[in-house]
Amino acid sequence: MEVELAEVRDFLADHAPFELLPAAELSALPRRCTIRYARRGSVVLEVGDRGDGLYLVRSGAVEVRDETGELVDRVGTGEAFGMSSLLEHRPTRYRCTAVEDTLLLVLEPSAFEELTHAHPDVATFYATTHHARLSRAIGNLQRATSGSTALGTRVGDLVTREPVTTTPTASVRDAAAAMADAGVSCILVVEHLALVGIVTDRDLRNRVLAADLPPDRPVRSVMTPDPVILSADALAFEALLEMVSRDIHHLPVVDDTGRPAGLVTTTDLVRLENANPVYLAAAIGGQTSLADVVAEAPGIHAVLGQLVERDVSAADISRVATALGDAVRRRVVALVEEELVAEGLGPAPVPYSWVVLGSAARDEEGFTADQDHAIVLGAEPDATGAAWFAALADRVTVVLEQCGWPRCPGDVMATNPQWRLTVPQWRALLADWSREPRPDAVLHTAVFHDMRHLAGDRELTEQVHLASVSTASPRLLGHLSRQALSMRPPLGFFRGFVLERHGEHRDTLDIKRPISAVVQLARIHALRSGSPALSTRRRLAAAATAGTIDRDTATELTDALELMSYLRLHHQAAQARSGLTPDNFLRPADLTQRQRRHLRDAFEIVRSAQQSLSSHLPPGFE
Amino acid sequence: MSQLELLALDLETTGLDPRTDHVLSLGWVPVVRGQVLLAEAHEHRVRPPEGVEVGSSATLHRLTDDALADAAPLTEVLPLLLDALRGRVLLAHHAALEVDFVGAATATAYDARPPLTVVDTLAVEHRLRADVNGEVHGSLRLDAARRAHGLPGYAAHHALTDALAAAELLLAQVADLERRLGREVLLRDLRPRRSG
Repeated sequence: MEVELAEVRDFLADHAPFELLPAAELSALPRRCTIRYARRGSVVLEVGDRGDGLYLVRSGAVEVRDETGELVDRVGTGEAFGMSSLLEHRPTRYRCTAVEDTLLLVLEPSAFEELTHAHPDVATFYATTHHARLSRAIGNLQRATSGSTALGTRVGDLVTREPVTTTPTASVRDAAAAMADAGVSCILVVEHLALVGIVTDRDLRNRVLAADLPPDRPVRSVMTPDPVILSADALAFEALLEMVSRDIHHLPVVDDTGRPAGLVTTTDLVRLENANPVYLAAAIGGQTSLADVVAEAPGIHAVLGQLVERDVSAADISRVATALGDAVRRRVVALVEEELVAEGLGPAPVPYSWVVLGSAARDEEGFTADQDHAIVLGAEPDATGAAWFAALADRVTVVLEQCGWPRCPGDVMATNPQWRLTVPQWRALLADWSREPRPDAVLHTAVFHDMRHLAGDRELTEQVHLASVSTASPRLLGHLSRQALSMRPPLGFFRGFVLERHGEHRDTLDIKRPISAVVQLARIHALRSGSPALSTRRRLAAAATAGTIDRDTATELTDALELMSYLRLHHQAAQARSGLTPDNFLRPADLTQRQRRHLRDAFEIVRSAQQSLSSHLPPGFE
Repeated sequence: MSQLELLALDLETTGLDPRTDHVLSLGWVPVVRGQVLLAEAHEHRVRPPEGVEVGSSATLHRLTDDALADAAPLTEVLPLLLDALRGRVLLAHHAALEVDFVGAATATAYDARPPLTVVDTLAVEHRLRADVNGEVHGSLRLDAARRAHGLPGYAAHHALTDALAAAELLLAQVADLERRLGREVLLRDLRPRRSG
């Protein structure tokens, strides 16, 4: 006999999207549910739980919060949660807590699967809800820049104890005794509440014992004065880079008022959970030969692969990728300089800076990036000097190629003497491009506008970068816009995906095009608003603040970029895992139906932003 | 509660006296470790013995003689119920009726009464609502008790719906008790009775 769970069926029939279902299917659903009750305040789903069904609130209310505790949604009678885990087949990223006594109807995963499979409307309904929550969660994540990775840990959170301190006038003997008592390898020297110096085990060895200094001398005579400090809200990753670049193992942490709050040591950093990226950066920074740097470089892909698996956001992964890339690039430039000195060619003949361009400059590296770099010279070098820079550029480029960064096909590299210029020469060139935007000038403006300091004299980089921000003429903007509009994202999805028709990438979708479209849109809007921001996300935010783009569009483009970058990273991580060279060609067949739908939405967002840009073009550029 | 298995049961009958009245339908649904398992929900209509008419009770449960003419006799449904009850605590709202009728039926069929542990949501509700003098204000009827716990209203006098209503009510009562006791609720907190 057919069992009729009339009350449950009627409840479903009253709420979207079940109202769309034929009566027979609706009547079959209650049997595939269980009923649970959640007391007010109890956690129904925890971050990292694998959802065991679609949760429908029968009565009561549930709050959905992301990993950082930010509210993502509030779910009331007839509404659902837990779909993210079912749609993505991965543990949930939310904590769902009953905020009232709540009666829950839980639909089993296989029933949800069949339902969404048989009824695209139902699938769309839940994908939309999921997407809306995800967008809010991503927004939350970006506000709380700390993110969820170990890299984002604030050094203030690593400080576990009050600092051990002494005064500059105390004797070395007393300071050493205090260190021994506390069992620490480092003591902070404090005068009038301010940090004035630091003394480490190594100082006691080198400056006291080895120097045969009497232990009754004041601490002031052996301390390192004015040590490098970090504020409590600096990131663990920054602490590590600071330590590696200066070859120190202790960094004092100070609070807002400048008072010492504690100490961070290399051990603290290595101990961090999921410390791999940090450890790798340290390993790269510690290499003393180019061959060893080349040997460490493949570790970057391994670390990125882990972050992808841990479902870190694309924005965060790109930042880590760029930071690790920087660690390699900096080390390579420094070691090549040493090599030139060792060969008798001497140090740099004039001050200079090494700049990175393109995705590396925007903090948006992934698994694939060409080398794009240039040199800013502090003064015109003589012929010998020019040869020194040519040698530097050639060797750095060769080593970076060995590390896995292909040469730039457009030859935008410091090896090209055209891109080793003094500040006035750069300024003149940029002004030239702006005045007379020939096709190659438009291309180059786009490349050189994304410029970030890597090594050498930072001041030189800043001067050129600011010149590139301030020299964009309306004509140049018109040309840049036209270029951006030519990067049309595919129209539809499924069959409508515009696929590569020929060659080795047949039947694939080049995800780089729509991503570039967002990058270009953001660059134009940043130029129009005069913002020196580099990352696409920051540029969009800056343009929204300046009013050259409306805030909703900026948010939507940021979300679209996150989604497309996310899919690209997952695609590339899978390729790297199976030993293939990561590329940008997604196979629509590898995407789930939902991912295709999300992708279609992202394309739509890009397209409508492009349309809005085209309506603002200066005359003659339509 | 995290270990407990119960079977929420509701009977529709021709009257209240198991010696003279008859079961017309049974609905049950298990509550296992805090979850109501709808997949194992059952409802059975019962054909009363020859010569017995539903009479005026039909106005309550809307089961007419015609509707029951094709149903199985109680002797066929009873083994299914006893099977579902095995290892489980019987749960009902005002459980005396269910206990009496099930007892009478097994006595007739097998000449024995099954040993049952019984939890009555009415008794639990009484415990939750009684003031210091043991007095209860307001109704303890199933729909009223559900309302008091903020549960949705159900149509009454349909065996499976009432069984489900009692099962959900128990979950709400357990949550309430848990809050008061500050610990997990155990079977003894639910004032179980033994019968048979």
